[in-house]
Amino acid sequence: MKHFLIRFATPIVLIALWQLFADAFGSPRIPRPSAVLASAMKLIGSGDLVTALVTSLGRVFSGFMLACAIAIPLGILMGSVRTVERNLDPLVESFRPVAAIAILPLVILWLGTGSMAAIVIVAYAAFFPILINTIAGVKRIDNNLMRAAYTMGVPPATRMWVVLLPAALPAILVGMRIGLGMAWTAIIAAELAVGAKAGGEGGIGQMMFIFYAYSVELNGIVVCMIAVGIVALVLDRILRAALHAAVPWSRL
Amino acid sequence: MTQQPAPKITLAHVRKEFGGTPAAVVAVDSLSLDIQPGEFLAIVGPSGCGKTTVLNMLAGLEPVTSGTMTMDGKAISGPGAERGVMFQDYALFPWKTVVGNIGFGLDHGPAGHGLSRAEREARVTRAIDLVGLKGSETKYPHQLSGGMRQRVALARLVANEPKILLMDEPLAALDAQTRIILQDELLRIWGQDKPTSERRTVVYITHSIDEAIFLADRVVVLSSHPGRLKRIVDVDLARPRNDETRKSRSFAELSQTIWELIREEAYRATMR
Amino acid sequence: MVQRIAGMMASFSGVLMGNSTAPRHWPAWTIYLRTMGLFCLLWYAMSWLTPNKILLPSPLDVASALRDRIDDGELVANATVSLTRLLVSVSIASLIAIPLGLAMGTSRLLEDLLEWPVELLRPIAGIAWIPLALFMFGIGNGLPIFIMIYTAFFPLLLGTAAGVRNVDRRLISAARTMGIPKGTLMRHVIFPAALPSIMTSARLAVAASWTAVVAAELVGAPSGLGYAIEYYRSMLDTPSVMAFIIVIGTLGFLCDAALRSLSAALMPWANAEEKR
Repeated sequence: MKHFLIRFATPIVLIALWQLFADAFGSPRIPRPSAVLASAMKLIGSGDLVTALVTSLGRVFSGFMLACAIAIPLGILMGSVRTVERNLDPLVESFRPVAAIAILPLVILWLGTGSMAAIVIVAYAAFFPILINTIAGVKRIDNNLMRAAYTMGVPPATRMWVVLLPAALPAILVGMRIGLGMAWTAIIAAELAVGAKAGGEGGIGQMMFIFYAYSVELNGIVVCMIAVGIVALVLDRILRAALHAAVPWSRL
Repeated sequence: MTQQPAPKITLAHVRKEFGGTPAAVVAVDSLSLDIQPGEFLAIVGPSGCGKTTVLNMLAGLEPVTSGTMTMDGKAISGPGAERGVMFQDYALFPWKTVVGNIGFGLDHGPAGHGLSRAEREARVTRAIDLVGLKGSETKYPHQLSGGMRQRVALARLVANEPKILLMDEPLAALDAQTRIILQDELLRIWGQDKPTSERRTVVYITHSIDEAIFLADRVVVLSSHPGRLKRIVDVDLARPRNDETRKSRSFAELSQTIWELIREEAYRATMR
Repeated sequence: MVQRIAGMMASFSGVLMGNSTAPRHWPAWTIYLRTMGLFCLLWYAMSWLTPNKILLPSPLDVASALRDRIDDGELVANATVSLTRLLVSVSIASLIAIPLGLAMGTSRLLEDLLEWPVELLRPIAGIAWIPLALFMFGIGNGLPIFIMIYTAFFPLLLGTAAGVRNVDRRLISAARTMGIPKGTLMRHVIFPAALPSIMTSARLAVAASWTAVVAAELVGAPSGLGYAIEYYRSMLDTPSVMAFIIVIGTLGFLCDAALRSLSAALMPWANAEEKR
C-alpha cells in the first residue's frame, strides 16, 4: 500500500510542480497542464486528433503487415537453411544498421510524400527486428523436438507446420513486438520530416509539425506527444497480450 | 499391440566417426551385437563411451561410418515408426498439452494411418491410463513435474505402439524416489509379467549400473574413447523383479562386477 | 544451379530432421564479397534500365560521389559532427542513467519514486520531442543532443536496474557471509554481475541514438549526416544521398562493433552467445 501510494503520488506531484512553475515563472506561451488539458479537449472534440492518429495507424498497420509478410517466411528459410543464411547474411548485416529515417530522402524521391512512401519506411523499420528474431527463433529450436517428430515418421512438410513454426512462434512474436515499436517511431519521424520539408498529407507527426511551424501552439504539441506515447503503449500491450494468448506454454 | 514377433536387430563391426577426415573423432568402434526380440537390453558405460551415438544410429538419426546395422536383415537407413525413441530431456512439445503430446505421432505420423479419430483418442486414453496421468490431460509440459513429464514422454512412446523402444537415459533427470517408482512401471509396460513373445524390445541407455541390472535381461558394458564393447553381462535375476530384487545378494554381486569393469575409465572421465 | 538447389533442399530437410550442423566450406569474407558483388551487379543492371539517373544512379556514380564528398571534406566534417554528438550525448546519458539505474535496482524507495514517471515518459519516442525541442533549443547542437540523450537514457536506466535486480541472490549472500562491506559489495559483486545487462542496453542505446541523430539532424540541425542527406536530396544529387546513407550504415555498424569488442574486453567471462 505504501509503495502504491508513492508510485501514484510521484507523477501527480511532478505535474503539479510543472503547473506551479509555469504559472510563476513562465511566459504565457510555455505549455502547462491546465492548458494542455484544454487543448486536448478541443483537439479530441473537433475530431482532428483522432483523424491524425487513424491516418498514422493505418500507415503503420499496412507497412507492418508488409514487413511481416516478407520477413517471417524469409526468416524461416534463413533460419533453417544454412546456405541461404550464409549468402544473405551480408545483405542483412549491411542494411540493418541503416536507420529507416536515413533512407527517407530516397523513398521520397522514388514514391513522393504520400502514404505509399510512409508505408515503405514503416515496413523497412519493422523488417529487421522481425527477420532477425525469426532467424534466431528457428535456429534456437531444440534439435530433439525435430528429431522426435522425425522418429515418429512425421513427413517434412507437416514437421514444418506442427513443429518448426510453433517452436519459433514466441521468437517471431517478440520480433513483431519490437518491430511494431520501431514502426511507430519511424512513422512519427517520417511524417515530421515530410511535414517539415515537403508538405505531406496528414498523420500525427505532421500535425505536430503544423503546430510548431504555423500555429505555434505548444500545448497542441504536448497533446500530440502524449497521444504518441499512449498509442505506443497500447500497441505494445496488444502485442504482449497476443504473445501471452498465442504462447500459453511459455512462462514469460 | 499387434502380436507379430518383434524384429531382431544385428550390429556388425559398427564404427562411427564425427568430423572431417583428418581430424575425425571415433565415437564407436568395432561394435558387434545381436538384440533379441522381446529383450530388455541395457547399455552402460562411462561418459564419452558413445552410448547415445549407438542409440541415435539405431533410431536412424545418424548413419554408421562403416559396418552394418540391420533390422530383420535390412539395413537401417533412417527413422521408422516401428522404432520409437524416448529422448533424454523428453523432447515434449511445449505448445502441446499432455493429450496433444501423447497423440502427436498418431495425429501427424504413420502410427495413426488408418485409425479413426475415435480409435486414436482411445489409444491416447489407454496410454494415459497406463502411465497414470489421468487428470492432467489438458496441462502443458511446463506445468508438470519432472516425473510427470517423463510419464508423458513414455505414454507418447507407447501410444505409437512401436515394436522397439529406444530410450536414452529416460530417468536421469529424476530424483531417486521417482526413479524407483518409474523403473517398476517401466517393467510393467515392457511386459515383464507376460511371456517373452508378447514383450516389446527395449534398448535402454543409462549411466546407472543398478538401474541397468534391475531392468535388463542383458547389460552391454562399453569402454570409452572410442566406445568399444567391453563385455555383455547376463542378468539372471528372476522376474518379476521388485524391491526384494534390489536387496538380493546376486544383485549386489552383479553391480560390483560391472563397476569393476568400468571403474578406471569412470575415474578418468571425471578428470576430463 | 540444379545441384545448388538440391543441396539447399537437402540441408533444409536436415533441419527438419534435427541435424542443423552443416560443415563450413567458404570463409565468411569470401561469401560477403560474393553476395555484395552480386548485389552491386543487380543494382548496376537496374540503374542501367532506369532512364532517369536521378532516381537510381549506378553504384559507380555513388562510388565517385563518395570520393568527391571525401575530397571536398563534406563527409569527414559531417561524420565528425554526428559522431561527436553521439559520443557526447551517450556519455551524458550514461553518467546519469547508470548510477541512477544502480540506485534504482538496489533501493525500493527510488524504484517506487521513478517507476511511474519513467513508464509514462518512455513510450514517447525521442523523435516526438523534436517539435518541442525546436522551440527549446532552436536549430543547432542543442536539439540533436537533447533528443539523443533522451533516447539513450531509458534503455540504459532500465537495463542497469534490471541487471542489478537480476543479480543472482546467492552471489550476494556468498559475499555477505564473507563479511564484505556494502561499498565493496556494489563495486565487486553487484556491478560486475549487472555489467552484461548494462552493456547490452548500451548497445541498444547507441543504436537508438544513432537513428535519432539522423532524424533530428534531418529536421533541426544545420550540420551532420542527417542534414547532409537532406541537403543533397534537395539538390537532387542522389549519388551523394546514397553515399551518405552508406556512411550512416557503416558508422552505425562500426559503433556497434566497437561496443561489442568493449564488452568482450570488459567481460572475458561472459558467454560467447551474448556477444552477437
